[in-house]
Amino acid sequence: MELLINSMPLLTKGVVTTLYLSAASIVLATVSGLVFALMQLYGGIVLRVLVETYLYIIRGVPLLVLLFAMYYAAPYAGLTIDAFTGGIIVIAVYFGAFMTEVFRGAILSVPEGQWEAGRAIGFVRSKILIHIIFQQALRVAAPPYINTCVAVIKGTSLVAIIGLADVTYIGKQIVERTLAPFEIFGFVAMIYFVICFLLSRLGSYLEKKFDYIN
Amino acid sequence: MDIPFLLRIGQTLSEGLYTTVLLSVLAITLSALWAIPLVVGLLAPSRILRGIVTSYIELVRNTPVLVQMFFIFFGSGSLGYPLSGFVTGLLAMVLQNGAYMAEIYRGGIQSVPVRQTEAGLAIGFTPARAFRLVVLPQALRKVIPPLSNQGVLIIKDTSLVATISVAEITFHARMMADRTAAVFEIFLVLAVLYIVLTAIFSGVMRIVEKQLRIR
Repeated sequence: MELLINSMPLLTKGVVTTLYLSAASIVLATVSGLVFALMQLYGGIVLRVLVETYLYIIRGVPLLVLLFAMYYAAPYAGLTIDAFTGGIIVIAVYFGAFMTEVFRGAILSVPEGQWEAGRAIGFVRSKILIHIIFQQALRVAAPPYINTCVAVIKGTSLVAIIGLADVTYIGKQIVERTLAPFEIFGFVAMIYFVICFLLSRLGSYLEKKFDYIN
Repeated sequence: MDIPFLLRIGQTLSEGLYTTVLLSVLAITLSALWAIPLVVGLLAPSRILRGIVTSYIELVRNTPVLVQMFFIFFGSGSLGYPLSGFVTGLLAMVLQNGAYMAEIYRGGIQSVPVRQTEAGLAIGFTPARAFRLVVLPQALRKVIPPLSNQGVLIIKDTSLVATISVAEITFHARMMADRTAAVFEIFLVLAVLYIVLTAIFSGVMRIVEKQLRIR
């Protein structure tokens, strides 16, 4: 217990880093997922092929490999991005692919009749998309979207391997000095659990709320 | 692009290929098996049992597999019974993915309409027989695609054991990247290896899916 109390200032720093990484990656991944989904669905053949190639590559390559590639190759490419920004970009690119699938599936789940109804009352394509399709797609996308956000938060733990001081990295540093792996890693796991669990609860709460309006 | 050079990198990396493939196959198989008692618990009439299994699933699904690996790896060492990196990675991945697969099984079983079970009972099957002969075959077809997705994620997750010094392909790539300047080529070949492995697995699962389809 005393060990945990003494480690608290360091671990808190790590938690802040983890939260910051997660938030930045989620925002970036959401935006790129949405853009890629629209490109894949309505962007014509060239953009569709590009997006599908990106999805295919991400589906087959581990996040850790992408992080290592960034970490080792960026300096050779003459890119001077710090590991932190690089980490956010790689995580966002990786989970952006999962977000793309989520949004694409949700948009496709809206029945064709909704498009026809929109055209019948004289809406242009973009207006149908924003006012009719997105509203309904949102409800379908919400649960898998929250799951993907949880995956992003868990995924940020991998930056510890390339030396970013998130809560996993700091936990490992403390364990190396104190030799108390159960307490420290148990506590680190609990931190992730609380964050992710609260997020899932928030997700199911929002889902119910939307359902009620419906 | 220097093809012979890439092939040489591939050769060096493939020293870890056996470990990656073995770990993937074991993790996928054992996860799929471990998920069976879990889904039985999830669908059990006993509320206590359901509660225990649900808590377990929530716990492992909301914590990173990397932290679980560190917990088991360094924890077992401090107890005086150090587990190898391979066993640790396998254990962590089975604990985590078993939980995901149990949810997939549950989804598959619950997707079969209750009418089907009732029809089975109506022609004189016992509940167990109705489940085995009516519900299970239909549920099995439904779970193959999501199981295949989960399997792909497992194959990708095997790269994490490189951090607890298991000499699989990512570990070898990192060693090479530390020693040479050919980092682009190394990670390109590594990425291609993973894409090939996952593509082979999804291909096999698609064949299984086709074989199970009702003709």
